[in-house]
Amino acid sequence: MSSPRIIFRGNGCAPGDFEGEAVVSSRPFGFWQGIDPQTGIVIDKRHDLCGTSLRNKVFVFPFGRGSTGTPGIFLEAVRNGCAPGAIVNVKSEPMIVMCALLAEAFFKVQIPIVDGLEATPQDVLRTGDRVRVNGSTGVVEMLGPAC
Amino acid sequence: MHLTDEERRILDGAFGEPQRIALSVLLKLGEAYGADRMLEITSAHVVGSSYQIAGEAGIEIYGQLVQQGARVKVRTTSDPGSIDFARWREFKTPADYAERQIKIAELLDRMGVIPTWTCTPYTTFNVPKFGEDLGWSESSAVVFANSVIGARTNRLAAYVDVCAALVGRVPRFGLHVPESRRGEVLFELDPDLSASFEDYFFPALGYLVGQVTADRIPVIVGVRQTTFDQLKAFGAAAAASGSVALYHMVGVTPEARTLEEALGGRLPAERISVGRREIARTMEQMSTGQGGAVDVVGVGCPHASIDQMRRYATLLRGKRVHTGVELWICTNTMVEEMARRMGYVEAIEQAGAKLMVGTCHNDCPLGAWGFRRLVTDSGKFAYYTPTTVGTDCIFASTEGCIEAAITGRVERR
Repeated sequence: MSSPRIIFRGNGCAPGDFEGEAVVSSRPFGFWQGIDPQTGIVIDKRHDLCGTSLRNKVFVFPFGRGSTGTPGIFLEAVRNGCAPGAIVNVKSEPMIVMCALLAEAFFKVQIPIVDGLEATPQDVLRTGDRVRVNGSTGVVEMLGPAC
Repeated sequence: MHLTDEERRILDGAFGEPQRIALSVLLKLGEAYGADRMLEITSAHVVGSSYQIAGEAGIEIYGQLVQQGARVKVRTTSDPGSIDFARWREFKTPADYAERQIKIAELLDRMGVIPTWTCTPYTTFNVPKFGEDLGWSESSAVVFANSVIGARTNRLAAYVDVCAALVGRVPRFGLHVPESRRGEVLFELDPDLSASFEDYFFPALGYLVGQVTADRIPVIVGVRQTTFDQLKAFGAAAAASGSVALYHMVGVTPEARTLEEALGGRLPAERISVGRREIARTMEQMSTGQGGAVDVVGVGCPHASIDQMRRYATLLRGKRVHTGVELWICTNTMVEEMARRMGYVEAIEQAGAKLMVGTCHNDCPLGAWGFRRLVTDSGKFAYYTPTTVGTDCIFASTEGCIEAAITGRVERR
């Protein structure tokens, strides 16, 4: 059975090219007090992803919310190899974009971020889908559905 | 993005690696948000001064920058640290934790950051003027600088603030653009509410405004008279419960001499009436858990001014903090020194209260205390305490906080 390959176009907010498994939530997310930077696991008890690992995942959620201290936690996760591999948002708040740009500048790790797709990402992507995100071209490809 | 010759040379590395890295981060940020050019800033304020925020990643970044000879190019002040540098043992801070904070202090020193260790840099050492562009991060300071002073800054992230400081520039987008500073959500206060505004209404109103506004720009109509400290408390609460970076208070803040000016001549996207019922409902949401015995009382968030120190001293004179209760007043060394000269510190300490200087309850590791219930007059503390300190939190007026410290009990309003 040939798997469908669907291409979505949006805006590249932070550069990089990453392919991995999607983790999808329809709720906003804050990294500050939202993840354990030692493991990449969501620790925000009020969030539907609590207990899920974001490590090397394509993290799909509507938008970020958060304190100006967000890079503290985010970069700690990057340093430990436990950050998401890519991010797809409806609208990326500058705080998240700044985290990715800092990761590239100081830890040589690119975490592509794309927003503004023609479709709502959390509706067209499912947790477990194989997804490729290019933060330079703004292209998000669904390579294969969750098994 | 249009770059000047000097900016091109910075990106080519002509002024060293720290400036090259810093400008490349700011350039990409500007490109992501449609900036047309860079703006020169008059000052920066950095939030990654606290070990709680910066962690080991921060020490690595600052260490790398210092090794490459980084120096800030504009006046730059530090946000609170995660320890009271003079009294960390008294606050039961683990020694290895204090050591990491001291390491950050050394690195910031070497970059030329002014060690103010305060969230209210705008009261001293870093006082912007109307219309100036800044590179600030601390959310309560950003909202004050934009709203009360009329300076212009986006909410920068930790380390991006350092990038701005190293090159003295920020990309021109968001709140640096006058057309993006127009109010969007209108809050109309009932006349009977604004006629009898008490101090504690301001953090409660800010909390409510932040919840409704999220990251938009609110306009508040119906506040007639306010003090500096009331505006400080209002903004800090709105920036915590929402991510408000700018508000307009008609007749009070400089870009809101009239309602029309505050809205930039447009209609608001949303109109909300606020009366006693809405304030009461918000105050209910600002507390968690039940009333009862109190472990710890926290005032001075954002850091207490000299006026607030006088008030605490007056309320505490001749009184005694209840056995087993900690009353901590958070402020900075500048205010501490003045309060000492004026006899306020003596009155506060004689009553058994403590000054917590250069940090606060939410920035310090307090695990060793085993606190269960914190009482505060701060909307920002009320928002963050259940997660940062991990205790229940009861919101009360300033008098209510001091009263709770003296009696050792608090009731939910």
